Order: sequence, then structure tokens, then C-alpha cells
Amino acid sequence: MSGQLIRDSIGRGIHLSAVRDAKFKHNRLSANFVLPLAEETASDNAAVPLVLRKGFRECPDFTSLNARLAGLYGASLDADVTKYGGWQVLELSIKGLDNRFALENEDITGECADLLASLVLDPKLDDAGLFDPQDVALERQYLLDTIEAEINDKRAYAVNRCIQVMCADEPVSVRRYGSRATAEAVTAASAAAAYRRIIKDAPAEILFVGSGDSGSASRVFARRFARQERTPVENVKARLRTQAAGVKEETERMELNQSKLVMGLRTGAIENARDISARRVFAALFGGTPFSKLFLNVRERLGLCYYCASRFDVSTGLLFVDSGVDAANKQKAQDEVLRQLEAIQKGDFDDTQLGNTKLLMKNSITSTGDSLTGLEGWYLAQILRGQSVSPEEDARNIDEITRDEVIAAARAVTLDTIYFLTGNGEGK
Amino acid sequence: MAEKQIKSTRLGEGYTKIEHPSGLTMLLCPMEGFSSAYALFATKYGSVDTCFKTGADGDFVTVPEGIAHFLEHKLFESEEGDAFSLYAKTGANANAYTSFDRTAYLFSCSDNFKESLDILLEFVTHPYFTQQTVEKEQGIIGQEIGMYDDSAEWRVFFNLLGALYHENPVRVDIAGTVESIARIDAELLHRCYRTFYNLNNMVLAVAGNFDIATVLESADRILKPAEEVVIERGQVNEPAAIRQKKVEQVLPVAQPLFHIGFKGTAGGSEPETIRNQVLDEILLEIIAGEASPLYRSLYDQGLINQTFGTEAMGSRDYAVTMFVGESRDPEAVYSRIIQEINRVGEEGIDEAAFKRCKKALYGRYIGMYGRVDSMAGLLLTAHFSGIEAYELLDVIAAATLESLQNRLAVSLNPEKCALSIVRGA
Repeated sequence: MSGQLIRDSIGRGIHLSAVRDAKFKHNRLSANFVLPLAEETASDNAAVPLVLRKGFRECPDFTSLNARLAGLYGASLDADVTKYGGWQVLELSIKGLDNRFALENEDITGECADLLASLVLDPKLDDAGLFDPQDVALERQYLLDTIEAEINDKRAYAVNRCIQVMCADEPVSVRRYGSRATAEAVTAASAAAAYRRIIKDAPAEILFVGSGDSGSASRVFARRFARQERTPVENVKARLRTQAAGVKEETERMELNQSKLVMGLRTGAIENARDISARRVFAALFGGTPFSKLFLNVRERLGLCYYCASRFDVSTGLLFVDSGVDAANKQKAQDEVLRQLEAIQKGDFDDTQLGNTKLLMKNSITSTGDSLTGLEGWYLAQILRGQSVSPEEDARNIDEITRDEVIAAARAVTLDTIYFLTGNGEGK
Repeated sequence: MAEKQIKSTRLGEGYTKIEHPSGLTMLLCPMEGFSSAYALFATKYGSVDTCFKTGADGDFVTVPEGIAHFLEHKLFESEEGDAFSLYAKTGANANAYTSFDRTAYLFSCSDNFKESLDILLEFVTHPYFTQQTVEKEQGIIGQEIGMYDDSAEWRVFFNLLGALYHENPVRVDIAGTVESIARIDAELLHRCYRTFYNLNNMVLAVAGNFDIATVLESADRILKPAEEVVIERGQVNEPAAIRQKKVEQVLPVAQPLFHIGFKGTAGGSEPETIRNQVLDEILLEIIAGEASPLYRSLYDQGLINQTFGTEAMGSRDYAVTMFVGESRDPEAVYSRIIQEINRVGEEGIDEAAFKRCKKALYGRYIGMYGRVDSMAGLLLTAHFSGIEAYELLDVIAAATLESLQNRLAVSLNPEKCALSIVRGA
């Protein structure tokens, strides 16, 4: 079991949350900025952590910065952009070896905190307040490349396309790096403007997870942020439609051996945390385990696909069923998925199946506490949901979900979109 | 029963190594403060072991490519259903994988460890398959192969191995081909099983939240002593030279993906092979790590992006070092890498870069001893390579500039370099 989350306010709209646990050999510190996801700003925002990662005022050279990280026992510095519901989360993180393993008594944890704070709050800007145009050009290209590379992983690509078709008029359809057009429009000036807006307005969540002391991180971020003008805006949670208005269908073709069938479903009105737990258990029973309805029937019994799984997205309340199928089996697979949904709606599952599903879920949840990234991701998601439930508490909440609640969750589900990615008939 | 404590003074930790009377080696590393345990039950048998014999066999047998992976799939089934359904009662997360040189069955759990371990030891030691179930599996694996054929990342890697190697089975997809798996039958599977799933050829590695006594109790109860076995693997007649300099394939990808690989010199002892691999990792960090001049110039010219990375892999009779990533111009990346290797070869490795990269690898490796899954994996890898897990840290600490200079000539020889590209249509 990991330590408790301690969350402090260290400035206006700035919180530092720490989980200390002696078993870890590294410490991970991250600075996260939470912004509303919008087509117009997505690419400029996404460029910011990528450009910040290149250096800061006192260490403007990328190679010197990387050499410092290597010298800090291979500390890793990462820039990341993720989506959480209707929000875009920008993250800059550093992971360093704990001081107790330093060979020459270096304060690795303190230096890592200093580096991260400098990267975030003391960037290299020219006299006009602009980022380095060369840095921006390279990172803009990286954004473009990443947006286009989405087709490389067909499974993930198909799920993303389904979200876009399903939520065309909702903010969650905006991609985390924006679109090709918005990424092309990123300039040294627009990225710097986005940076200033973020530092001024965006709620900041600093997380420290590891065996070390979060004190140096807390002090350096409080001090550096104190020099910034802050008027943080409270982010409003995006409201999504809770029911499908009818079934949308879309088919896309490319050269492919195995087709991908993705079904997007809405899961009804969610009133409280318990409703979410019930949906998670339902989704796991439906297609989230190797003994789920979908796995046992669509894959094992009927052999219709190589994989067939369902996943409930806590941040949006949407449910996706995705599968890899032979094009000829598409309709059969689709019918069978819906038949299995109906089975759960009718209560066609026994207590053993439900108990086993919960057991596997609890096992996975509790294991989250054993890795730095797992734990950091866990608590960041908790904070974004406005709570601080530990993995152990969450496992207990899952355990409490009853058979009737699972049936009710299944009955609230409506099919919204069927997306099919298939071969163009010319492939082998 | 021989029991030995293996300790690391650097980390202040240790694990227990037990030679169980059944013939199985057990590497047990309880880790304080962790909620979960991770168990790996593995055989030193992978996709490259396609030609072999035991002391009892007359002649070498050559089996179809992909049979180790096929056997892994089949072992996952018992008369009472597949292993997933057995684990359903314990809540463990279970899986299995086949790589070039090993097959491993694993689970992780935070509860019901003993029950899960019993399942693991039981199903791996009780093969169950009939001609019917074998035929059904041919269909399932055929689908899996089709899925991998669509994967640009997978293809660019295997195309590289196909360009570097003439004969070595490492050049063939781990799952085999639709044609090769069609030749698999129950009898061949049994022969492979009898040969390689002998407990003397296997290891159980467990890390995390569990008791050693529990493991011993289960092992004593479930495992029957195996007969001594001597496995001989057929020698591969692999020329030192590579097969072709360049290979390209067209698949739906945005930007071209590339793998630039160097065929190293294989065939040393196992401990030597893994030590060299760790040295090669330091070398690759020096040549192309994020703090290297090469990385900087490629990045600034927009020739590579954050997907760029390096890797060293190797086993009994193959050794490859790789530079991988996406690029608009893979040929230009290739020329720059060759240029840089020649330059470092002539001018020698920079002392400061050496020290920095050694420290970086040291820190990263320590991280691997700090998670239950990677710790169990390290125990396994080290054991199959004939060393103890903590020796990898010692290899890094003992690395010298001269040793890396020597590795440069062996593992980054421009004469033995191939470029694999997957381009969009």
C-alpha cells in the first residue's frame, strides 16, 4: 500500500500533491496545466510543453540540458499532452534517481525540481517575448508528424475516428494535438502567447511521487510562481450527451489485412461516483476481461475476431467496443456484440462471473500503487475529478457494486456510432 | 535442495536462488512495501529453436517456424478451459509471451498469490491438446499473423532482421507464417514440449509481495522431478556478412519508419553476450543519446523526432544494435549515423560523454530493480544468460573507455549495416 496523498495550495490556482513511499528508487515530479479543449487553441497549447522541453533561460542549449540530465543519473524529462474529458492537460515531468543511490552525494531530487521549475517558469524568450523560431518550427513539425502518424497504429486510429464521428459537435472530439490545419498555423508568436495565457490562467497541478522529500519541489515552485501574475480560471466540466439520438455509421478504407470495428455507446446520466463505479464494473463484465462476455463469445466461441474488448472512459462517460475482424464477419460480430449487451441487460450473468470480474478489477487497481507513473496518473485523474480516492478505497468501492446496479448500468447504454475501418480490396 | 542468497551491496537488497529437487531453478525476490507480486514461469525455448535434439534422440529434428509460439497458445488451454478462466477465480492478471529465445507464462496479483501460483505451475506442466484443438488454433494464429502483417512497426523490424541474416531463424516472425504453422501437428508439439518444458530447462522468477515458503510449498506439491536433459541446438550456418544493405516495404504510414541495424559478432559464452549487450547500450547512448552531437544535428535538421531511439539485442547466435525512428529522409539519417560512427572510430570516444552516459545507464538500470515486473524480468534474463541479476549493475560500474572503444569496432561495423524502411503508399 502506498502513502497518503497530501495536497497543499502553494499559490493562486496552484496545488502541490505529494505521495511518499519508501519502496520507490526514483522520484517523479510533474507540472500539469489544465485547459479547456478547443479546436482553436489545441495546437498552440500542445506546442508549449514541447518547446519548453528544449531549454530555459540559463540553459538555452538543448544538448547541454540533455547532458545535465544524463549527469543526473539519466534523469528523464518528458513533455506530454493528454485529454481528460473536455480538457487538455499539458505535462512536463522529470524522473530522477533517489538521493540515497547517488554515488557522490549529489542532491538529485533538489536539482531535478530546480530544472523542472526553470523549464516551466523561466523559459528562453527573446526581447520581443517570443520563443526561438527554430525550436517552434521543429516542434510544429513534430506535432504534424504525430497527428499524421495516428494511422500507423490501426487499432488506436479506429477508436479515435469513432470518437470524432460520435462526438463531432462536442469538445471531446478535438484531438489532443489539434488538427493538421491548426498545427500548421503554430508560430513562435502564437506559441508564446499560449504560454503566457497558460501561466496566467490555467490551474496548475504539481505532483510529486517517490521515496524522496517533496519539500524542495514545493519551495521552488512556490517561489517561482510568486513572480508570475496569476488570475486562474476555474475549468468547467464539459457536458456530453448521455443518450444516443440514433445510430451513425461510417466506413473508411485503406490497405489492411484485418479490419477494425469500433462501436461507440453512450451510458446514460451519471449522478455520482457510485454510478461511475457501476459502469466500470458493467464494462469489465461486458468486455474488459479475458473471461468477459465479449471475449468468451465473440472471440472464443464464435471465433469472429482476434480481439474484442470494451472500455469505459471515466472522463467522458462514453463506452467503446473495439475489435479486429475479418471484413466478411463484420455484421456477425456487430450483432453478437449487441446480443451480449442485451444478455447483461436481462441479467444473464451469475454471481461468480460478477465476483470474478470485480476480483480482477480490484487486483489491477491495487497494483497501480506499485509504479511511479501508475500512481501519478492515478492521482492526477483523481484531482481532475475533484476527489482523492486512493487505489485501496477505489477497490472497496468497486466491491460494493451490486448485480442490480450492473444491470441498471447496462440498460442505460445506447448505441451511438458504428465505425468500420476496412481493406480496399486490393491488399493481399 | 540448494539454497543461496544473492545480495547487492549497491542496493542493499537481495533474492533467494533455489535449486528445487524437481530440477527447476527458482529465483525469489520478496520486495517490501509492494502490493502486488509478479511471477514468471519460463522455458529457455523461443522462436529461434527450430532445430534440436536431446541426448535420447538420434538425429536433429527441424520443426516449422512459429512452433514455440503455437505451443504457448496451446499450453494456455487445459481440459477445464483456458488458463484465463482458471485465473478468473483468483483475480490475477495473466498472460504469456514468446520471444526469440524464451517462452514465459506470467501473472500479477495483489491477492490470492498461492492460488494463482498453483494454477501457473499446474497448467504449464500439464499439456493438453488434440488434433482438433490444434486445427482451431491454426485459424486464431493465422488472424494474429495477419494483424502483425498490418503493423508497420513490426514489419520494419523483421524486414531489418531479414536483411541482416541469411539463415538464422531470428529473421522469421516469432509467430511463423501461415504456411509454416499449417505444418504443425499435435505430435510435433509434444516433441517440442518434452524437450524444452523439462524443468531443468526452466525457471520460476517471482518478485514483489509474497512469501518464499508459499512458493516452496506449491512447488513441492505440484512439481514432479524431471529427468536430466541435455538439449543440443542445431548450429546455424550464418555467414558473417549481411544479406542485403537495404529493404523497403509500402504500408499505410504517415512518415517513413526506419530501422538501421548492425549485425554484431555472436557466438560467445552467454554471460559474455549479455555483458556485451549492456556495454553496447552505453555505446549507443554515447553515439546517439539525446546529449550526443549526432542526435542534435539530426534533430535540428528535422531528420528525426522524439520517436528516435536505440536498442541492443542479442542471444546465443545473433547480436544486433539498432537505431530506430521516423524520418522524412531515412537515407540521410543512415549516412549521418555511418559518418558519425566512422568519426568516433577515428577520433576515439569522448571521455566526458563516456562518464555521463555510464552514469545515465546506471541510474536507469537501478529503476529496473525497483518494479515487480521488471525485477522478475531481470531475474529471468540474467539466469538464462548464466549470471546473477545484480551483475548487470556491476558491468555498468566496471565499464571502461577502452572496453567501449573495442565494442565500437565489433557492434557498429558499417560493413555490416542494413537499412529497413516502411513507406506510405
